[in-house]
Amino acid sequence: MRNKQTGVIFFPAFDWAITPTHPEREERLLYTRDQIFEEGLLDMPEIAEFPPKLATIHDIARVHFCVPRVQSQVTEAHMIAAGAALSLGDSIIKGEIKNGFAMVRPPGHHAMRVVHGNRGFCNINNEAVLVEYLRRRYGIKKVAIVDSDVHHGDGTQEIFYHDPNVLFISFHQDGRTIYPGSGFTHELGGPGAFARTINIPLPPGMTDRTFHYVVDNLVLPVISDFQPEFIINSAGQDNHYTDPLGSMKFTAQGYAEFTRKLNPHLAVLEGGYAIETALPYVNMSILMALAGINFSNVREPDLAGNSFKENPDRFAQVQRMVEELLAVWQRRDQTDIEKIFGGGKFYQRKKYIYYDTDYIEEEQFEKVRICGACPGYLIIESKAHRGYGEPARVLAISIPIDACQNCQTEAYSWYDRGIQDKRQYNFVKLQDKSTDTCLSYDRDKKQEWKSEGPKPGV
Amino acid sequence: MYIGLDVGGTYTDAVLLEKGQVRAWSKVPTRQDLLTSLLESFDMIMTGVHADLIERVVLSTTMITNLIAEKKYDPVGLILIPGPGLDHSHYNYNTETCILSGAIDYRGREIVPLSPGEVEGALERMASLNYKKVAVIGKFSSRNNKHEKEVFKRIQQANLDWQVEMGHQVAGQLNFPRRVMSTLLTCATRDKYQFFTDSVLAALDNRGIKCPVYILKADGGTMPLKTSLAAPVETIFSGPAASILGVQALIPPGETAVVVDIGGTTSDLALILSGQPLLSSKGANIDGQMTHVRALAVKSVPVGGDSVVERVGREIILLSERIGPPYCMGGPMPTPTDALKVLGLTRLGDLNRAKEAMQILGGPLGMREWEVAARIMMLVTGTITSEIAGMFRSWEQEPAYRVWEVLQKKKVRPDTVVGVGGAASGFLTQIAAALDCYPVIPPYARVANAIGAAVARPTLQVSLRADTEQGTFSIQEEGFQGPIEDAPFNEDKALELARKWLWKRAEKYGLKDNLGDVEVIRKEVFNMVRDWVTRGKLIDVSVQTKRGILHYIGTGVDKGEK
Repeated sequence: MRNKQTGVIFFPAFDWAITPTHPEREERLLYTRDQIFEEGLLDMPEIAEFPPKLATIHDIARVHFCVPRVQSQVTEAHMIAAGAALSLGDSIIKGEIKNGFAMVRPPGHHAMRVVHGNRGFCNINNEAVLVEYLRRRYGIKKVAIVDSDVHHGDGTQEIFYHDPNVLFISFHQDGRTIYPGSGFTHELGGPGAFARTINIPLPPGMTDRTFHYVVDNLVLPVISDFQPEFIINSAGQDNHYTDPLGSMKFTAQGYAEFTRKLNPHLAVLEGGYAIETALPYVNMSILMALAGINFSNVREPDLAGNSFKENPDRFAQVQRMVEELLAVWQRRDQTDIEKIFGGGKFYQRKKYIYYDTDYIEEEQFEKVRICGACPGYLIIESKAHRGYGEPARVLAISIPIDACQNCQTEAYSWYDRGIQDKRQYNFVKLQDKSTDTCLSYDRDKKQEWKSEGPKPGV
Repeated sequence: MYIGLDVGGTYTDAVLLEKGQVRAWSKVPTRQDLLTSLLESFDMIMTGVHADLIERVVLSTTMITNLIAEKKYDPVGLILIPGPGLDHSHYNYNTETCILSGAIDYRGREIVPLSPGEVEGALERMASLNYKKVAVIGKFSSRNNKHEKEVFKRIQQANLDWQVEMGHQVAGQLNFPRRVMSTLLTCATRDKYQFFTDSVLAALDNRGIKCPVYILKADGGTMPLKTSLAAPVETIFSGPAASILGVQALIPPGETAVVVDIGGTTSDLALILSGQPLLSSKGANIDGQMTHVRALAVKSVPVGGDSVVERVGREIILLSERIGPPYCMGGPMPTPTDALKVLGLTRLGDLNRAKEAMQILGGPLGMREWEVAARIMMLVTGTITSEIAGMFRSWEQEPAYRVWEVLQKKKVRPDTVVGVGGAASGFLTQIAAALDCYPVIPPYARVANAIGAAVARPTLQVSLRADTEQGTFSIQEEGFQGPIEDAPFNEDKALELARKWLWKRAEKYGLKDNLGDVEVIRKEVFNMVRDWVTRGKLIDVSVQTKRGILHYIGTGVDKGEK
C-alpha cells in the first residue's frame, strides 16, 4: 500500500512575501489550502502528507553561484521550498512513495546559475537543486524536466543548456508577448547537448486542444526516446484561462489530464497567480491525477460561461512547429554540430540578463570547453549593474559531475588565475560537481570559503 | 471534594479526591444495569462523606464508543451537497445517500443554487424508506450554511417528524468527509446518549448528590453532562483520555513521558510532551472514518497480556488475537502473561502451568523455559517500543505551513515511561530500558482513569473567521454565520469578538464561573489583494480556555485554588 501513495508537501509560506501586494505574497495558496482541506484529499489513503525540511547551503551552492554568497540571496522560505523538493525526491528514490507534489512557494524556474538577485519572482531554482542532489546522492544520470508554466523556464534552461543528461522541454506563451521574452524554437541547447533543450512557444489564446496536441505529438514521444530515470514537472499554472499575467486558455481538466499522461515522479509548483479562480482547482486536480484519483468532477465555477474557441491558423502554426521540432529531435545525433556552433576548443556566447524584480542588469560571457571525453567545464564572466556604484564582477567555473581528468585540471587553473588577477574580479567561484566541492573567493575580504557535500556513506 | 468516575467496558472505577489527595477509590464490575454499578461505586467511596461535600462529579465512558462499534443505532439517511470536486462515488457511507446539486466555494459564495425539485425528491425518498433521522451536509457549509438551512427549512415545512442534524452546526472546520461522518454519528447517537445521561442523573439524585456533573471529552476537557447532549460524539474515546489525564496528574508537572496502558488484548500508547498530553493532529478516527472530533493522540497496538503466542517452524511469534485467558490461568494457549509468570514478574496464575506453556513453545526447539519467556518478553517490548518511536516520528512529521513553524521543530525524547493498566508492570522495566527512560508505576495506577476524570477541567474554544471584503464572519463551534457590524473590522476587533463569543458559549454551558485564563491559539490575517489594491482581510482567530488539570496528585500542587 505504502509505495502506491503520492507524497505531498504543502508549504504555502503563510508568513513570507516579496512585498505586501506582490503576486508572490502570503495569500497565494490560501484558497488552495481551503479547497484541498475541505475536499479531505489529505485524509485519502492514496495520499501522504510530509513536512518540509530545509535544504542546506551546499545543496544550493551545488547549482547556483550566488553573489556574493548563498546566505545573501536566500531566505529560509527558499531553503524550505527547495528542501521540499529534495525531501520528496528522497522518498521517491527510496520507494516510499510512487510520486510527489511539492506544492510550495516561492517558485524557482527563472533562477539561473549565477544569482545576483530575484528575477521573475525566483531566487533559487528548486528543480535544478533537486537534479544535482539526485545525481550526487543516488547516482541518477538522466533526468527530464517538463515546464508547463506560461512563462518560459529560462532559468532551468540556462542551468542545463550544456548538459546532455538533462532533457528540458518548455511550452509556454510566445516570448514576444510575455516575460521573460525568450524560449524560441531555435534555443536547442549547447554543442554538447544539442536538442536536449526544446522550446514550444505557443500563440496567445490557445486552449487544452493545443496543449494536448503538443503533449501527445512532441513531449511524450521525445521523453519516451530519451528514457529518463526521473521526470520532473515544473507545474506552473498560469496557462489557465483566468490567469492575470498569461493569455492562454488551459483548464484544470487540461492540466490534470496532462499530469496523468506525463506521469512525472515529481511535480513542483511554479507560477500561477489566479489565486482564487485557478489555483484551488488546478492544484487539486494535479494532486488527484498524481494519486490516480478520478478528477473528472473538478470544475472551475465559471467554466461554463467561457468560450474556448481557437484560431485555426494558429493551431496549424503549432502543428508545423511540432513537426519541425520532432524532426530536429529525431536527427539530433546526425546533426553537424560544428556547422551550428563552430569548431575550436571553446564555444562561447554573450548574454544579457535582466532581473525584473530587483532591477539588475547582468552581462554574461559564457564559455564551454568542447571536450571529446566529457561534457566539458563551463566558465562564466558576469558583470551586474545594480543602481549606481560599481558593478559586481564575477568569474564562475563549473565542473560537471562526469568531468574528465583534463577538464578538472584546466578548470582549477582558471580558478587560480581568476584569484591572481586582482583587478578583474570581485568574486571568483568554482563548483566541482565531480568531487562535490564548492569554492568561493572574495577579493576585498581576501578570503576563500569552501563547502563540501556529505562524504559517501554518510 | 471531587468524584471521578470511569465507566469502562469491564470495570467501573471511581475515586474521591480531597484537596489533591486520593481519599478513597473503588473498582467494581460494570453491569448491564448501569445504575447499579454507579450506586455501588458511590457507596464505596463515599462512606462517611456527606453528599453535600461533593463539589463536582466528572464521568468518562466508553458508552458511545461501544454504541458505534456495535452499530446499535437507528439508520441515518444522508443528504449531501458536495458540488464539484472529488467524484461523488467516494461518498459511500453504507446508508441511503441523496446527492443534491448545488455548490458553495471556499469564500462562501454560491456557485450553483439548490434545485427545489431535487430537494423534494430527496425528502420523498427518505420518507418512503422510513428514515427518521437525517443528516444534511454541504461542502463549504462552514463558510456558508445557506443550502443546509434551505433543506432544513423544507423538512420543517413538510412537517416530517425527523431528527435532523446540519453539518455546519456539528463541525465548523474544513474537511467535508470528516464533517459528514461527525454529523452522521451525532445524529445516530443522540437519543441513546440521552438514556445514558438520564440514568447517571438518576443515580446521583438517588444518593443526594446535587453538585454540577460533567463528562470528559476525547480532547481531555470536560463539558456539563446536560449540555453534552448537543455533541455526544465528543465523548467518544473519553476512556483513554481519562487514563492520560490521570497519568498527567500522577507525574511531576512539565515532564515528557510515554503512557503505556497494557490491557488483555491491546495496549494504548500516548504521549505527554512537557506536561501536556498530545492532541491528535487529525480528528478522531471512528470505525475507520476520520471525524472532526478533537481527541488526544492515542495509538492502540494489538498486543496485550492475553495475546496468543505460537511457534511457527523455528520461530516464536506473537499474534494479535486473544483466544482465552493465559495458560497459567486455565487458558488454552501460551501468552505473554505466562512468560511474566515464569520470570517472576507477576503474581497472577499458576507457575507450573506457565512453565508448561513455555515448554510447549520451546521444547521442540531445545530452548529452556526461561529462554522462551525472555524471547516472548523481547517480542512484546520490541513491538511496543517501535510503536512509541513511530509516534514520536509522526509527531515530528506533522506538516508546517509557515517558515517559523519549520524552523522551530525540535526533537523531543521522553524522560519516563509510565505504566498503567493490568499487565503494564511486568513489561515496563524492559520497555523503559529500551527507550533509555525511567520506568514509573505511579501510586493508584489501577484507577488512573478515574483520577484523570476527577482532575479534568472544562475546555472551551471559539474560532472566528471574518471576511471583511464580503463583510461576514462565522463562529466555527457554534455554526453561527452573520454580517460584520463593526466596520472597519480588524484583528483586534476580531479577538475581542472571539472572546465575547467564548464568554457567551461559557454561559450557555454553565461554565462562566470557572472559565479561567483565555489564550489565543491562532491568529492569521491575510490581506486580500486584487489588482495591486488591498480589498479586504481574511482574519482567522481561535481562543480557548487554558488546557490543563486541576490537581497534581500528592505533590501539594493545587491548581484548583489558584
